[in-house]
Amino acid sequence: MKYLKLLFGMVFLSLFLTACSKGGKDITVDVNALAEKLQSEAVTSDTLSATAEEMLPSIYFIDAEQMAKGVAYTSTGATACEVAVIECKEASQTAEVEKLFKTRVSSQSDLFASYNAGEVSKLDNAVIKSAGKYVVLCVCDDTEKANEILKEYGF
Amino acid sequence: MGKKKKKRKNHQNNLLVLQLLIIVVVVLVVFEGRLIYTMFTHRAGSSVTATAGSSVTADSTAAADGTDTENAADPASDPEQASQDLQNAAALPSAQTQEGDSVSADALAGLALNLASKDNTLSAPEPETEAQAERISEEIDSDAVVPLCSDPVDDSFFSNSVFIGDSRMMGFRNSSGITQGTFLTSVGLSTDAMSEANIASSEGKISVYQGLSGEQYDKIYLMLGTNDLGYYPWDSFEDSFTNVVEQFHKLQPNAVIYVCSVIYVDESKIVTTYDNNDNVRKVNGYLLNVCEKLSYCYYLNLNEIFTNGYGSLLEDASSDGIHLYEKYCKQMLDYLKTHYISE
Repeated sequence: MKYLKLLFGMVFLSLFLTACSKGGKDITVDVNALAEKLQSEAVTSDTLSATAEEMLPSIYFIDAEQMAKGVAYTSTGATACEVAVIECKEASQTAEVEKLFKTRVSSQSDLFASYNAGEVSKLDNAVIKSAGKYVVLCVCDDTEKANEILKEYGF
Repeated sequence: MGKKKKKRKNHQNNLLVLQLLIIVVVVLVVFEGRLIYTMFTHRAGSSVTATAGSSVTADSTAAADGTDTENAADPASDPEQASQDLQNAAALPSAQTQEGDSVSADALAGLALNLASKDNTLSAPEPETEAQAERISEEIDSDAVVPLCSDPVDDSFFSNSVFIGDSRMMGFRNSSGITQGTFLTSVGLSTDAMSEANIASSEGKISVYQGLSGEQYDKIYLMLGTNDLGYYPWDSFEDSFTNVVEQFHKLQPNAVIYVCSVIYVDESKIVTTYDNNDNVRKVNGYLLNVCEKLSYCYYLNLNEIFTNGYGSLLEDASSDGIHLYEKYCKQMLDYLKTHYISE
């Protein structure tokens, strides 16, 4: 009986730890589908288009060696709207990518302030989230919708 | 008596096991329920969007290869098609404004926005009278103009190129499908801002001149002028632009400098008075002069493919009259691949 209790205790503990560790979420995301859904449903003020994956390291300054896959929809140049979904090779690399996304938003915000100030509020509300090996940046018109989609995908 | 006690103890143990099992189930429901829910909802989401995701990948690949169906009939790579398209475009009633244009007014980049004072009477040159119905030729007879080459190059041609420019160049990077090259771009970039720290880099913001100070490139593509359309006084623009290009040459003495013409705008979608095609022609005249003066500078006559035939941007090329849709950015990439200076 003692062994049985111990076994239950261990199962309980492992389940508890698995459920609560945020960064350790073991999820699999279809990055193409997520990026497409975000750009088509959360961006309404611009027509975004898929940017070549080869260009992403130079846009976001991500180390190409750390990126397993990346999909980005970027603007015609008229607005600050953009969606980027990056799958890192290791979950431990997401924090760095998240930081680069924050720098990107800050930089864009500075530039748009004197160019098209109406876009700054979108940048102020930029959604940056990570889960498992994935990091998402979404500068859009409907942040509520973006968060809803991300929740649906396990973020 | 002893048997009864043992039986009761067994019964108590069973109850304890049952209680523990209940606790485990509760824990599972509480802590894992959300995970399970997410798993199911995510699967549903993936299956719904999988097709769209696949098609996006296919499009991207096709774009990178230059084999998508739009490009197959690309006027930039097919002069006959270009001529046909030009005629078709010219036949369109250019006074039309696009219906269902979802781009908000504040999406107009770099322009003084004032919805209340929006002047809908502004429009691209229309063939309203017989005199205006004259088509405007985009042919330029100058050695400084980059000629059409019969052998298109691929993306590797741009591997040691640097693209400098404003939001239009940024849009080109974003939407053309180009896979190589360094981009020094910034929204609102104008000719007099080359030494200002407005280019994002891995080391923070730098100026265009700083961006050109290290690595040596063999080609520079320069797209400036749109944010100079309100330039005043015009007399000094040519000198100012010449100075910029000369600085580039000092920093990159081995690079051929390709100066992109300012692409026409669609005046019917623009609220400012200075962003007009008369000013575009004026700026382009200065850019061409500079290219004719400097042996390392060449003029890319992009309006060959973007004119509606009457000295204005094609009606369906842009949502805000300035920034080009993906299809046209791809056409521009094809133009660059077929217009270069042979070594």
